[in-house]
Amino acid sequence: MNRLINALLFLCIGAAVVASFAYLGIDLGQLGDSGNLNRMGAYAQRFLSPDLSPSHLKAIGHGALETIAMSALGTLLAAVFGLVLALPAAGRFGWPMQSASRLILNALRAVPELVWAALMVLAAGLGPNAGTLALALHTTGVLGRLFAEALENTPPEPAEAIRLQGGNAVWAFCYGTLPNLMPQLLAYSLYRWENNIRMASVLGFVGAGGLGQMLYVSLSLFQEAQASTVILAMLLLVLAVDTLSSWSRQRWVKA
Amino acid sequence: MTLDLTQVSVTHANGVQALRGVELHIGAGEQVAIIGPSGAGKSSLLNLLGTALPPASGEMQVLGERVWQLSARQRQRLRARIGLIHQAPPLPPRQRVVTAVLAGKLGQWGMGKSLLNLLHPLDVSGARAALTRLDLSDKLFAQCQQLSGGQLQRVGIARVLYQAPEVLLADEPVSAMDPVLAEHTLSVLCRHAREHNVTLVASLHAVDLALAHFSRIIGLRDGQILFDLPTDAVDRERLDKLYANEQLQPSPAPPSPLSVQIPRC
Repeated sequence: MNRLINALLFLCIGAAVVASFAYLGIDLGQLGDSGNLNRMGAYAQRFLSPDLSPSHLKAIGHGALETIAMSALGTLLAAVFGLVLALPAAGRFGWPMQSASRLILNALRAVPELVWAALMVLAAGLGPNAGTLALALHTTGVLGRLFAEALENTPPEPAEAIRLQGGNAVWAFCYGTLPNLMPQLLAYSLYRWENNIRMASVLGFVGAGGLGQMLYVSLSLFQEAQASTVILAMLLLVLAVDTLSSWSRQRWVKA
Repeated sequence: MTLDLTQVSVTHANGVQALRGVELHIGAGEQVAIIGPSGAGKSSLLNLLGTALPPASGEMQVLGERVWQLSARQRQRLRARIGLIHQAPPLPPRQRVVTAVLAGKLGQWGMGKSLLNLLHPLDVSGARAALTRLDLSDKLFAQCQQLSGGQLQRVGIARVLYQAPEVLLADEPVSAMDPVLAEHTLSVLCRHAREHNVTLVASLHAVDLALAHFSRIIGLRDGQILFDLPTDAVDRERLDKLYANEQLQPSPAPPSPLSVQIPRC
């Protein structure tokens, strides 16, 4: 009986695949045509000769710096506002504030970076301003949520002990809660920064500055050589940031 | 009177009644030990005196103030004059010992000093002095997580010594230390209290330590005060009654938890 059901399921999946091809009108046979293969080869070949002229490299360096600056500033803003929103979201100021700040965090997080970027380009104009704001808005939602959870899981006793010695709530937080929390906050922020660098190189597609904008322009003008240099630069950037981020996490968080 | 309790009862959030009709008056500069079987309410009494727990009923005055009728601001100002030593000091594992000790004066410092001290310890010599008295000055810049239970207890005591309160409450302050160290630490506490005319109230489960260091002994059992006597008047019969029904029948002598403590350090 079981086997029969399995066989039936397989048949259904097979039928669904065939039906999808028919519905979308994809002709796999054409893909194997010698003319098409040649054209594909030529297209790929144009990417194999990246444009390494000094003027283009300079432009790429500028774009890469813009991408890094966008992501760093966006993440920093997000960490600050995330912590500001995480305190009420962890229930520090009563339940009305908790529900309100959770609603804000959820709303910020629910809208993806690309959509925020498209919205911000309309609001703040083309360029890195829009990208920074977009990253900051989405990441605030993510980091605020993570910070709030970390806050809820931090033992309250050290802060209470300081309250009992007459310290006010701010110092109880700074001396009692923050030392436990700091490594976690740092790890989350570094991780989101890593994500944001990748994201910042894509945000340019909607006109929000950085390497992505260069890539979009080059591809639109069929300048494959220039585009391939930009892609290489993106790869290098992401690799470098991954290394830097894991190194700094080792150094600050694990120790 | 420094500490005044009149018919005070304490009920925990889970409905357990920890103290019932406690009557207690302790004057300035007195040194009092609280003993009793576990679960007798020793910690609840100290938390009550340290204003960590509000009384469910009865009158309570600390340093002449009705703690729970003060405004929050006034209560914080009063709390800066009370030092509470916890059995397991709640110190953040990654905090450095020097910062943990200096945090004792947060109730007395202003905004700027507290903030600067967060970035860089301002009074290293003060912290070192407090730790030196407890033979722990070599751990000044260690992280709290690198210390053992007994060392952490001494950091907690150093913090309160640095705070220099008028009332010093200690909840099992030496429970994780070896006998020699426990002896030394208690005598440091008592000497500090004598020299600065500080009121000292400590709960102890080692009866011989209580008898050796304190002039007044309070026996607590089932949330009630069984006896409240000068040390000379505490005899074996009373101690037996205090700890009765515990699994101690084979030996008539008061329990000597010191021997129990040794494997724990």
